[in-house]
Amino acid sequence: MILAANPYRDSDIFQFFGVMLNRLWQLVQGNLSLTDLASDEIQMLVLVGLCFSSALIGAFLVLKKMTMMANALCHTILLGIVIAFILLKPFSLEGGLVSSFLSLKVLIIASLLSGLLTTVLTQILVQVAKVQEDASIGLVFTSLFALGVVLVTLYTKNLHIGTEAIMGNIDALDIDDLSLVGSVALLNLVVFFFFFRGFTTATFDPLFASSIGLPVSWLNYFIMVLTAGTCIAAFRAVGVLLVLTFFVGPPLMARVLTDKLKPLLLLSFVLPAICSIFSVALSRHILVVYQTPISTSGLVVCVFAVMYFLLLLFAPKKGVVNQFFQRKFQKVLPKVG
Amino acid sequence: MNYSLVDFFTDPVLRAPTLGSIFMCLSSSLAGVIVVIRKRSLLGESLSHASYPGIALGVTLLASFFSPSSDGFAIAVLFCAFISSLVGMLLIDLLQKRFSVKDDAALCFVLSSFFGLGVLIASRIQTTHALWYKQVQGFLYGQTATMQDIHIVIYAVLLLVTGSLIVLLYRDIQMLIFDKAFGQSIGINFRLVEIVILFLTVLAIVIGIRSVGIVMMAGMLIAPALAARQLTQSLKFTFLISGIIGALSGFLGNYFSVMIPYYLHAEKLSLPTGPMILLVASFICLLALLFAPQKGLITRMMRVVKFRRNCQLENILKALWKDLGRGVTLKEVSSMQNLSLSIALLRIRKLSSKGWLDCTNKRYCLSSSGEVKAREIVRLHRLWELYLVHLGAAKDKVHASAEEMEHVLTPDLEKQLTDLLNDPLKDPHDQPIPHKGGK
Repeated sequence: MILAANPYRDSDIFQFFGVMLNRLWQLVQGNLSLTDLASDEIQMLVLVGLCFSSALIGAFLVLKKMTMMANALCHTILLGIVIAFILLKPFSLEGGLVSSFLSLKVLIIASLLSGLLTTVLTQILVQVAKVQEDASIGLVFTSLFALGVVLVTLYTKNLHIGTEAIMGNIDALDIDDLSLVGSVALLNLVVFFFFFRGFTTATFDPLFASSIGLPVSWLNYFIMVLTAGTCIAAFRAVGVLLVLTFFVGPPLMARVLTDKLKPLLLLSFVLPAICSIFSVALSRHILVVYQTPISTSGLVVCVFAVMYFLLLLFAPKKGVVNQFFQRKFQKVLPKVG
Repeated sequence: MNYSLVDFFTDPVLRAPTLGSIFMCLSSSLAGVIVVIRKRSLLGESLSHASYPGIALGVTLLASFFSPSSDGFAIAVLFCAFISSLVGMLLIDLLQKRFSVKDDAALCFVLSSFFGLGVLIASRIQTTHALWYKQVQGFLYGQTATMQDIHIVIYAVLLLVTGSLIVLLYRDIQMLIFDKAFGQSIGINFRLVEIVILFLTVLAIVIGIRSVGIVMMAGMLIAPALAARQLTQSLKFTFLISGIIGALSGFLGNYFSVMIPYYLHAEKLSLPTGPMILLVASFICLLALLFAPQKGLITRMMRVVKFRRNCQLENILKALWKDLGRGVTLKEVSSMQNLSLSIALLRIRKLSSKGWLDCTNKRYCLSSSGEVKAREIVRLHRLWELYLVHLGAAKDKVHASAEEMEHVLTPDLEKQLTDLLNDPLKDPHDQPIPHKGGK
């Protein structure tokens, strides 16, 4: 029914933005209520919300060199969800698996479980069993992921949910997903608003931070749990593997343009948000013009990558092209002088 | 159907998946040794994901131009995966070296972007060629059930390539890992060796993904190699054991993924092989981490416990020897040695069973063999004290060290100390040093 009424149904990429602006204007005038969001709009809002949550966390993950832990977490989230679902099964009355996957209790427990499980197990392997760090991260998350896949398969008797978990299914998003993404974004915003000082100090100068009594290792656990929460929010939209791009890509893009933390945070929200909106439009364009349905989540990730490489080439200061010309210039200048 | 173990190697439907899995896991566990020892395990994770767009593209191209029954399918797809994995490697290198991106971020970025690209390409054929799309998805979690006899040959050849590369380059790899400077001085071209090793790693990953799946490939590189490293120090045996563990988990994983649905009476359920193989491998790795004879966690803890118990036993003997045959009660032992009553009782039982204690009227004293043993301990204690003083330590500070060393000194060391100190008779506190055996 929503599809039939989708105002973007026949629009190519230019009409898409026209329709979008038109609907925005109607919304401002009050002719449109928030409940009749079209599926494309939900997709855009979910992706933008995701960009917001992950921009905050991603910057710290990249600066603290914890992206591989984030990658590990993205994998173990699957096991977290399955375990939380099995634990809560006796207490929940509604039967459908997919609807239970969404229930907030399951999700909160899942993110806590997988965040803690991954970090604690890796720490145990490194500190107690004296395994090298890279191997212990790799071993823990792949094994936990394997366990997750087996449990999902045994439990639901099909592999489809497992595949959907890692690929995402952005076309199946509805208004509930939007509110989930929104609340995670809000949570991240609140946490970072209050602990911003602590996180920055612990990131740039961990020794100083622990000397003034900041619980540095607890802040790390905290980041991991927030990361897990964001993974959960992303899990239905882009799947647990692609969300890694949302963590790593934006800070890298922003890093090409600026060296300061606050502009970096802002840019690593704005740039990917533009990319996301553009990708949804592009995906619709390809569907309408070439009659080819393609995966929007895959497209978003590719647009991120293209954006990053464009920035690497053409960024004002650090871009390859600019540096090339500067070098030429420097060679010429002495002759002139 | 209920299959016996032998059926897995003879049954025309089962033998291709079984042998195929064994070959694939064998090659990945061999390459894994190099990756793990060089601390590059997470590179394996990135490279395996980077092969996904290659697979998707390969299948899409084949689906557009050829009929689905084409025999070259497997090889063509593997080739595309290989190329795309290499491109991923080059990109990681470019990001790190040219744009000074930190290595973990570069790895993760390439991993997820390539995977995204793969998802994008695969989605192109999702509706148009549903069967082919399923093939692509099969590579995510590993799918061996659809393999045929031709695959046995393909993977056997590929395994042969990896295996012979390792054997041929064994000395160079050894040099690269353990003593690069020396290798350079005798003129080994390490750039070439590095390139070959990279080639080998990518090849092993591409071989393995059919059985273990892209997402879990990294684990298959790590788990067997890590287990082997727990069990042996020598590089040669690490390769050997890792290979055995890899092959074993390839077989068992395959076995379980067929048999578990049977046991659960859910014959239609198809358990993906990848997770099963990896779970078997990491279970073996866990066992090795816990119980390896030298480095195992439990073994190490057992050694500590045993040593502590031994110390307590020897302390009790010493205390009884100083008590000069009056005998002590259980309560006195427990309060003297600061042990709980039950522990004290256990220790005394142990001593009695060795024949070192006599018991009369609930009072314990040393037997003649116990006395010999106790004298040895006291002798070690006093010898060590004398030795420390000989080295220049103050007389009143040597007791604490000797309290610990008396449990550690071996007969060999004792003889050396005796010779060094000219078979002394008195310790620094003018106490007699008892003779070994005699009075």
